[in-house]
Amino acid sequence: MASTAETKNRSEPPAAAIATAYGFAPTLFQAQSVLPAAIEAESGLIDAILLQGPALPRREKDSILLAVAGTRANSYVLGLLPPQTEGAPKSLLPDFAAKLALYGPCISNGDIEVLRQAGLTDADILEIIATVALGNMLCTLADALSLTGSSAVQMPPPPHEIPKWNSASGPYLHFAGSLPLDQPQLGTLRDQFGFVPKLFQLQTAWPELLKAECRALELVVWSEDHLSRIQKELILLVTSTANLNTYGVALHSQMLNILGVSAEDCESVIFDPSHSSLKQEDKTLLAQISLLAGGRQSRAAFDLNMLRDHGFTPAQIINAAVTASLGTFLNTLQFGLGAAPDFPPRKTFTEKDLYLPAQLSRPTSDAIVRLDPDADLVERVQAGEIDGFEELVRRHTRLVFGTLNGILGNYDEARDATQDVFVKAFENIASFEGRAKFSTWLTSIAVNTGVEILRQRKTTVPLEDVGDEDFRPRRVQAWAEDPEALFAASQVNALVRDAVLRLPQKYRVAVLLRDINQMSTEDTAQALGLSVPALKARVLRGRLMLRETLAPHFVRPERIDV
Amino acid sequence: MFSCAEFLAEFGDYLDGMANPELRVRLEEHLRECKTCRVIVDSTQKTVKIVTDHDTFTLSTSDVDPMVSQVMVRVRSRAAQRS
Repeated sequence: MASTAETKNRSEPPAAAIATAYGFAPTLFQAQSVLPAAIEAESGLIDAILLQGPALPRREKDSILLAVAGTRANSYVLGLLPPQTEGAPKSLLPDFAAKLALYGPCISNGDIEVLRQAGLTDADILEIIATVALGNMLCTLADALSLTGSSAVQMPPPPHEIPKWNSASGPYLHFAGSLPLDQPQLGTLRDQFGFVPKLFQLQTAWPELLKAECRALELVVWSEDHLSRIQKELILLVTSTANLNTYGVALHSQMLNILGVSAEDCESVIFDPSHSSLKQEDKTLLAQISLLAGGRQSRAAFDLNMLRDHGFTPAQIINAAVTASLGTFLNTLQFGLGAAPDFPPRKTFTEKDLYLPAQLSRPTSDAIVRLDPDADLVERVQAGEIDGFEELVRRHTRLVFGTLNGILGNYDEARDATQDVFVKAFENIASFEGRAKFSTWLTSIAVNTGVEILRQRKTTVPLEDVGDEDFRPRRVQAWAEDPEALFAASQVNALVRDAVLRLPQKYRVAVLLRDINQMSTEDTAQALGLSVPALKARVLRGRLMLRETLAPHFVRPERIDV
Repeated sequence: MFSCAEFLAEFGDYLDGMANPELRVRLEEHLRECKTCRVIVDSTQKTVKIVTDHDTFTLSTSDVDPMVSQVMVRVRSRAAQRS
């Protein structure tokens, strides 16, 4: 860590707040010296939130930052903070901070209500949320720069229990009276977005924070310098995707459209960057950003060297990392405030996205093996460390179970088969060579296991796909604008379940892996031992068959003229 | 111009937003002229969204920990037998 003497030799003035906040110039900021604008942006946010934030004492903010760094297992940021004094912080704030930092999409109005009932005002809560967002930003920066702290730092164990997903949006905070919408920083936002996004409207009760955010965006994102504006918006889009932030995906897709990027290209970036029409170096950059922003507890490393190998300069790499960190800051704020999307989202994240290993990395096709987020754990298990296997089971239980339940259509049978799949995987893990991702390999074992069980059943489920080759869509009546709104969620679930289970087996498995498990086309083809074109044909046929089965329920209701 | 049969054989990449520009132009050319295929594209997109949005086959949260424990009991027993 740097000494104070080093700090005095630095010429950049903007880090004054950093020196005040920490009493020295941490390596985290020194390492960004090729990009003074980034340091100024971060310093402004630290000043507004940590030093000037009016609601909470610094000690409580430090306890929030400790909880964020702890839950993210970030030893560097933990090491920057004063140790907690015994019994000082109430567990309420650290608990909320840890949940928001790690499982932002699960934050709901109920969490905010708990804070209110403890006597906190909405102004206090806004400051708590901003402090968590700042902590997430600092942890992401430290991950990007591969900084680690002293091994003496005690890190709390990561939570095992994944909280309940929240699909309702807010806003959660309410301030008395009308908020001033004529602040100068709102004009800056209007210039950039053409309107004031709801995320920022919800913060007008704290003009100094808005000002620091706008300044940070100006310095890091809105300027055309080391990276183009489009590259930076792509980074923000990928960061929002990795953070499972529906709001951010909607906002940054819209910005990219305004900048001339087609809707199709945006969707490719969201769903599978390897198939977008971007240049190879940009695909590599976005795959790395996805790892950086999505690697919740797994430190699947952001690889600076890989970016250097692809021709990125140090200033470009720092600019990319800082942009992603700022994206994480904004996404955390949105989760805490519950801002509803300003536009129809291109992707709405749901509970199952939390469990998909694909969210940890959306690799470019030529880097699949290198970026397998399970590679380290698999190596440990192969070396005889059985405990590492428990983490693999935990990560992929839902993937394996969902695959088997979709094939077998029987919850209890799928539960038993899931155990068998993991035992088989353990027994054969020595032969796993990493040609596919571990999750793809595991999926192929699950599919084979499920199909074998169906084969033994024989009498109950027809295995022959008789007549499907001649399939043609027959129901061509227009569907309702929002078909899901016609039924309760549980009814839609039952309809989907019946329709999927009625598909002939080969189409069912293809749709299950591609659309329900949301695996990429390439991974699905690999898991099923098919060529990519053959897999695509099966998925399309399966989707059309599903459409046919669901159509009677979802066609547009006839208008009755009275 | 594509016939409906050709359109239906080719529009998978279009649904996933992955059609190359040349194919996309040909598909959209057909779509402008063919109401039936427009309905099929719209309803298939909605089908994919509905299927993707619903956790139809998922393991309930309360079953995750017991599942992990049961698997690990069996795994440790296998490992013990081997050694």
